[in-house]
Amino acid sequence: MSTALNETSAGFEPLIVAFCCNWCSYAGGDLAGTSRITYPANVKVIRVPCCGRMNPMFVLRAFQRGADGVLVAGCHPGDCHYSTGNFHGRRRLSAFKRLVEFAGFEPDRFEVRWISSSEGDKFAEEMEAMTAKIKALGPNGKMRDARWQSLT
Amino acid sequence: MAEPNLDQMEKIRDVVAQDLLGGRIELLLGWEKGHYWWQSRPLFAHSKEDLEKLVWDSFCAVNLSRYLLDELKDHQKVGVLVKGCDARAFNRLLQDNMVERDRVVLYGLPCPGMLDYDRLAAAAESAPDGITEQNGRVILKTARGEVEIERDAVLMDKCKDCLYPDPVVYDQLLLEPQGEREAPERFKAVGDLENLPDNERFAYWEKELSRCLRCYACRQACPYCSCRECFVEQENPRWQGRAYQPSENFLFHLVRAYHGAGRCIDCGECERACPVGIPLQELNRKLTKDINELYGHYEAGLDAELEPPLLTYRPDDPAAFSEK
Repeated sequence: MSTALNETSAGFEPLIVAFCCNWCSYAGGDLAGTSRITYPANVKVIRVPCCGRMNPMFVLRAFQRGADGVLVAGCHPGDCHYSTGNFHGRRRLSAFKRLVEFAGFEPDRFEVRWISSSEGDKFAEEMEAMTAKIKALGPNGKMRDARWQSLT
Repeated sequence: MAEPNLDQMEKIRDVVAQDLLGGRIELLLGWEKGHYWWQSRPLFAHSKEDLEKLVWDSFCAVNLSRYLLDELKDHQKVGVLVKGCDARAFNRLLQDNMVERDRVVLYGLPCPGMLDYDRLAAAAESAPDGITEQNGRVILKTARGEVEIERDAVLMDKCKDCLYPDPVVYDQLLLEPQGEREAPERFKAVGDLENLPDNERFAYWEKELSRCLRCYACRQACPYCSCRECFVEQENPRWQGRAYQPSENFLFHLVRAYHGAGRCIDCGECERACPVGIPLQELNRKLTKDINELYGHYEAGLDAELEPPLLTYRPDDPAAFSEK
């Protein structure tokens, strides 16, 4: 954990929380692993049953407790294991993303991506891209809980 | 003193008295005068004596439909006086299966818009002692004489951008309809905020939300906040911390607003109930605006049969994130 927590003397290493759908994106991450494709250790993956399971409070809690960026990854629309979970997720997360931006977060802080279980390379690419974007943005102080110190 | 329109009052009282005393309803939800002349608070009328207190004036801002949640537990059949926003609030509760249509009698009151005491006091330049109304104008009695102003200038914020002053659902309409209104400035404040840079917008919200006492009056007044257990009181997981922390305020307000995504009827009760004047409507309207843009125009509470946009989907929906 110690490599990924915010600003250290070695420069800023962002903490990115990626909520991955069990059926597609998490398996995509597994494929990246078994294919020996590397992606930044800044990304911490949390497995959710479906991107339709995403409670917006998951995202806000991540920001409160130290995340510099949050990514939600789900199956491509039409491929949901539960048939319609990501269709609902797309509407909910779209509305939520706009709300988070309205509250003053930079648009790049919160993203949603579709990654299938066969897209190990895409999984790694997206994680690279997200890490690069957040590195460029710098640490996130917005909505950070002042009582929550990073455990470096 | 506020002088109610006596003809209208007579008519309303006659109709509801007949139903309440005749046994068609067990309880009538209406308004009575509060401590000050510029306050009308909810009235829970069971008897003829209670009905004597019933008023209908320019201060009946409280949304009565919300009280059905409690009153239907103790009464078989309840009558409610509904303005435009109360009626849409009733549709909201109906859609959420929180009330049963056949246990409620709705008396429709087309609403001319309610008046804001702070605006009246500002117009009078002192605390006014009373008010009379005539043909769209308001006459305030003050210590220094009478002050006359345009009624539209002293409307409550929530009434300024009201699109539906007439009840959209009722069993009996008691007054003449007001007709459709226009609200060209409804999303203006949201648009202005959207145009600010991220950091300034964040600073704006940090400042506004820093006043929040977390009294949850906004939730208590809201017709879409009808959950039996609210996330703010949930112990496990405890989403909402109790501490006075900017981040806790953000969490509460973002999630409260988000729970109304596609469901908020824009009645403005949250903002009216807020004791520290946080512009909560801007958060609610932001979601309404975005959902209308992305998933087609939808006015919550107009038609209880229409499915709210976040409860449905189309396979070819657009998305707000960069990947479609």
